[in-house]
Amino acid sequence: MTATSSRPSADDPRITLDQELGIFEPVPPYPPRTEREAEFYTLGDGQMFINMGPQHPSTHGVLRLVLKLEGEQVVDLDPVVGYLHRGVEKLCENADYHHTISQVDPLEYISALFNEWAPVMAYEKLLDVEVPRRAEYIRVLSAELNRIASHALFMGWMALDLGGLTPILWSFIERDEIVEMLGALTGQRMLFNYFRIGGVNGDLNHDFMSRLGDWMTRATDQIEANLTLLNTNEIFVRRMRGLGTIDGQTALQMCWTGPNLRATGLPFDIRRAHPFSVYQELDFDIPTRIEGDCLARYLLRLDEIKQSLRIIDQCLHRMPDGPIMAKLPRLIRPRPGRAYAAVESPRGQYAAYAISDGTDQPFRLRIHDPSFIHLQSVGQLVQGQLIADTMAVMASLDPVMGGVDK
Amino acid sequence: MTFVARTWNRLTIPGRVLLGLFLLGGLLTGALIALIIFSEPILELLGANLPLVRFVGAATVVLLMTIPTAFLIIYMEMKIIALMNLRLGPDRVGPFGSLLSVVHGLKVLMKEDFTPTGADAPVFTLAPVVTYLASVMTLLVIPFAPGLFGQDMNIALLYFFAISGLGVVGLLMGGWSSFNKYSLLGGLRSAAQVISYEVPLVLSVVGLLILAGTMSLNQLVLNQAGWFTDWYIWQQPLGFLIFFIAATAEANRTPFDLTEADSEIVAGFATEYSGMRFGFFFFAEYVNVFIVSALTVTLFFGGWNAPFPFPEIALAFDPGSLGIALLILVAVVPVVGTLILAMPFYLLRSSMPFWQALVIGFVLFNIVAVAAVLGWAFVSLEWVAGLLWFMLKTYTFVFIFVWMRGTLPRVRIDQLMGFAWKWLLPASLLNLFVTAGAVVLVRELGA
Repeated sequence: MTATSSRPSADDPRITLDQELGIFEPVPPYPPRTEREAEFYTLGDGQMFINMGPQHPSTHGVLRLVLKLEGEQVVDLDPVVGYLHRGVEKLCENADYHHTISQVDPLEYISALFNEWAPVMAYEKLLDVEVPRRAEYIRVLSAELNRIASHALFMGWMALDLGGLTPILWSFIERDEIVEMLGALTGQRMLFNYFRIGGVNGDLNHDFMSRLGDWMTRATDQIEANLTLLNTNEIFVRRMRGLGTIDGQTALQMCWTGPNLRATGLPFDIRRAHPFSVYQELDFDIPTRIEGDCLARYLLRLDEIKQSLRIIDQCLHRMPDGPIMAKLPRLIRPRPGRAYAAVESPRGQYAAYAISDGTDQPFRLRIHDPSFIHLQSVGQLVQGQLIADTMAVMASLDPVMGGVDK
Repeated sequence: MTFVARTWNRLTIPGRVLLGLFLLGGLLTGALIALIIFSEPILELLGANLPLVRFVGAATVVLLMTIPTAFLIIYMEMKIIALMNLRLGPDRVGPFGSLLSVVHGLKVLMKEDFTPTGADAPVFTLAPVVTYLASVMTLLVIPFAPGLFGQDMNIALLYFFAISGLGVVGLLMGGWSSFNKYSLLGGLRSAAQVISYEVPLVLSVVGLLILAGTMSLNQLVLNQAGWFTDWYIWQQPLGFLIFFIAATAEANRTPFDLTEADSEIVAGFATEYSGMRFGFFFFAEYVNVFIVSALTVTLFFGGWNAPFPFPEIALAFDPGSLGIALLILVAVVPVVGTLILAMPFYLLRSSMPFWQALVIGFVLFNIVAVAAVLGWAFVSLEWVAGLLWFMLKTYTFVFIFVWMRGTLPRVRIDQLMGFAWKWLLPASLLNLFVTAGAVVLVRELGA
């Protein structure tokens, strides 16, 4: 520790910092605030802390995990969030209702259409607007496309976190095609800013429809073919099966929703449980699996892709003619009140709770993000597992740090 | 001194190049003259210590060989995995990006060579050297072609396993001295992994040794001469499978690349390394891939033997017999060949200027000439043919390693250890006993 060299280096922290040299321990510099914190930051015999992130090849953004290790085994885990906090909710309070749509866009940046959908629905409830049916169908169509893109990306990341290099790029083929398609429809590839209060920004155009038609003819086969590399791979299946198992009761207690909950056998889907938009008119199944482990969560998303393709097919067949925007004044001043709206995003229940005080800016916009809810169970799921499994469990929950940190 | 510096500064760039060339030429001429004058005692000295000279020469050649080998394999890996990922891969530097790994090599040379505070500096510096030297030293015993090997030892195989086991010491040193928990985990993982897989690796070739009755790699290759059915793979299929899996783990390659699992422990033992010290680790990894492939080929796939006995083609033509005509040929053939090869392009494409046709003709003539020389060497020089077959087989296995890297995910540490001790070790013991029993049985029946 006292490596004295004749030529002092500018990188030597002793020159700039007057603190004692030592290995950096991830213990916070303040006294423990809770009992849990006091218990976690006390090392037992033969244990050590290791800091995973915020700069780490596979923490899905800027999540920091403090692992308490005993050899390779994870004794306990503490996810530290907030590195990507941008104060979106506060920004929304100082923007007018139309502006908030673009403010919430980069939350769950993998599936941005759902970010717009929930607040837009809440505002529509505040305003008592009826959205034209064509606009609702366009919303469902584009959102389901976005869901497929998100799930395709998830499968690639899953494999990448287990050390497979190729699947991520193969799944990017599908994602890129969809993203280009949505780019043709909305004008942007990632943060669409497409949904409007009372409708959508633009009608379906030729570029989008021809791309969609091309893609739909081969989508099912191509997605299946791309994933044969993983689904039948012995190493992949053996690492995922029985890992991070959770039963339905515990998952409910931890407030899980979405594919992660359905992988434990509970067929809870906002699209069916509290139908919004035109989902009631559409025919689709809610795939479930009973195992509740990482493999179930992975395979369930594959089934969901197929159901999404069914929904898109029906949307294309039933798409009515008509306007795409409701008649609304340009400056919106909803009556004072509160409204809640939830959508089924690729990660679970994505909800917005808007409070209006009668001005043209929301008094409060609360965003409920499923990634944050799922992330708090990582510690339970990986207890007693190995370091390598931490990444697998993390990836199988599919958190997006933009949504977690807001 | 100022005079020299001023003169040098006044020179133009071509002038500096010319001056440099002039000085170099002078030095070389002087060295040549000195060599000629003192040729007799030098030759005497070399002749008296021939084995030592041969060893030093072989060691130098092998050390120099590792760098282009590593460059080639790194390029292969980048390009092949890119094609498997439906990407283009490197395509900027050189034709098809083939010089990119050279640029990578220059890059690691120019980066800052950083030692983290708190690291155990001597051990930290020594670790890449140990790892790199371990892989280079194993190359000494591999027979590349008839007569083309560093040292023909009667215990070559034992030497190989002993030295390649040293590599893990370097990884452990790097992991321990880095003052980083990821490095520590990587180093300990590599120690556990390599020591576990050493056991089935060595046991899997014992069956082959019983069959061959020798540990000399050269003799092993000679034993497999003839048709491809004489290769040991047909007598030791299980041994080959175990050897290949264990060798993959020894070389730290996917799916057993836990020591540098980037999604778990960042870069394992190499997390704190930068610059050329990291470059040594990097080179050692790819040289290890080559070595493991080369040893697989030597043991199980006939080494430098052709898969079938080549028909003897006796060249009736001896260039030496031409005398002065050879000189005239050397002067005339390139010109005539270039013109002949350029003619079709010039005559059949009216839009092509003559100089373009000449350039095409010149390139084509070079290709033809190189092919002709290589063909002549392949037919008349035994070691060229042997080297060609050896490299062909070895790079097939290198390709398989790259293919596995592009396809397979990584196993977990407990699965890795369980696989070694629960499956590979019993299987290699079974292979050993069955082979020994069969050999005894054949000997009894034959006697």
